[in-house]
Amino acid sequence: MAALIRLSSVCRRGVKPLFYQSTLLVRPLAVPHKHQEQPYLLTARIHSSQALYASGSNSAASLHWTAERVLSILLLAMGPVAYFSPGPVIDYSLAAALTLHGHWGLGQVVTDYVHGDTKIKLANVGLFLLSTITFTGLCYFNYNDVGICKAVALLWSK
Amino acid sequence: MTLGRQSICLAKPQYSVLYRHAAPMGSTAKEEMNKFWDKNVRLNRPMSPHITIYKWSVPMMMSIMHRGTGIGLTGAVSAFAMAALVLPGSYPYYLDLIHSLSIGPFLTGLAKFGIAFPLSYHTYNGIRHLCWDFGKGFKIPEVYSTGYTVIGLSVLTSVALMMI
Repeated sequence: MAALIRLSSVCRRGVKPLFYQSTLLVRPLAVPHKHQEQPYLLTARIHSSQALYASGSNSAASLHWTAERVLSILLLAMGPVAYFSPGPVIDYSLAAALTLHGHWGLGQVVTDYVHGDTKIKLANVGLFLLSTITFTGLCYFNYNDVGICKAVALLWSK
Repeated sequence: MTLGRQSICLAKPQYSVLYRHAAPMGSTAKEEMNKFWDKNVRLNRPMSPHITIYKWSVPMMMSIMHRGTGIGLTGAVSAFAMAALVLPGSYPYYLDLIHSLSIGPFLTGLAKFGIAFPLSYHTYNGIRHLCWDFGKGFKIPEVYSTGYTVIGLSVLTSVALMMI
C-alpha cells in the first residue's frame, strides 16, 4: 500500500528518489511492524529453547522409528514360527508383537490426522486404553482358551 | 544507480533485520506445527481440496490401502480380544455355533478371503515399505513394479488360503 502511494507522488520526480526515501529503505514488507524500530533487539526475542538445540539432539523420535521397523521384522518372522511350531511361547509373543505393532501404527494415524493439543492427548489416551484391553484380552485368551495359533488353525479348518 | 546496485544497497544494516528475522527459530517443529494448526482452527480456515481434485495414482491407492488394512486388522484383533474378555463361552463353543449356522461353502470362502486379503496385502506391502526403509526401490518404475507385485501376490495368496 505504502509503495503505491509513494509511486504516485513520485511519478513527477522520477523513480530514483523513490529508493532514497527512508520509509521504503527501513520497511521490509515481510517483517511485522514492531521489528522496524529495534532490529537489534530481535536477537533477544529468539525463543530461549535455542539452548536446547545447542546442547544436543533429542533422538527419541528416530529411536522410535527404528524400534517400529525392528518390531515389524520380528512380527514377520513370527508368522512361519507360528505355523511350524505353535505353542504358548509363540502365542504370547504374537500377542505382544501384534498389540504393539497395532498400537504404534494407530499412533501414527493419530499423529497424522488429529490436531490440537487436547484432542491429541485424548486420542492417545484412548489408544492406550484400547491397546491395553487388546493385550489383556489376547493374554486371557492364550491362558484360558485355546491360544492364538490353535484358534487360527481351528478357524481355518471350518 | 541501476536497479542492480539498488539491491546491493538493500543489504545494508537497516536490512539486517531481514537476516535477523531469518535466524534459526528457537521453537521445536512440534511447537511450530501446533501453532499453525491452532491458527487454522482459530481463523476457521477451510481445508484446501486435495483428494477430491488430485488425480489418483496406483502408489497413492496402495498407500491408503496399507493404512486401511492396518486399521482394519488392528480393529479386528482388538474386537477379538474384547470378545474373549466379555463373552462367557469358549472359542470352540462359538466356532461350533457358527458351524451350525450352515453358512455354505461360497460365503465361507468369501469370509476366508475377507480375512486373508487384508492380512496378505498388509504383509506384502509392509515388506515393500521395509525395502524403502533400507533405501531400496525408490525409482518410479520400481515403485510401480513392486506395487503390482504386491497386489498380485496378495490376490494369489488370498485365493490359495481361501481354498485350504
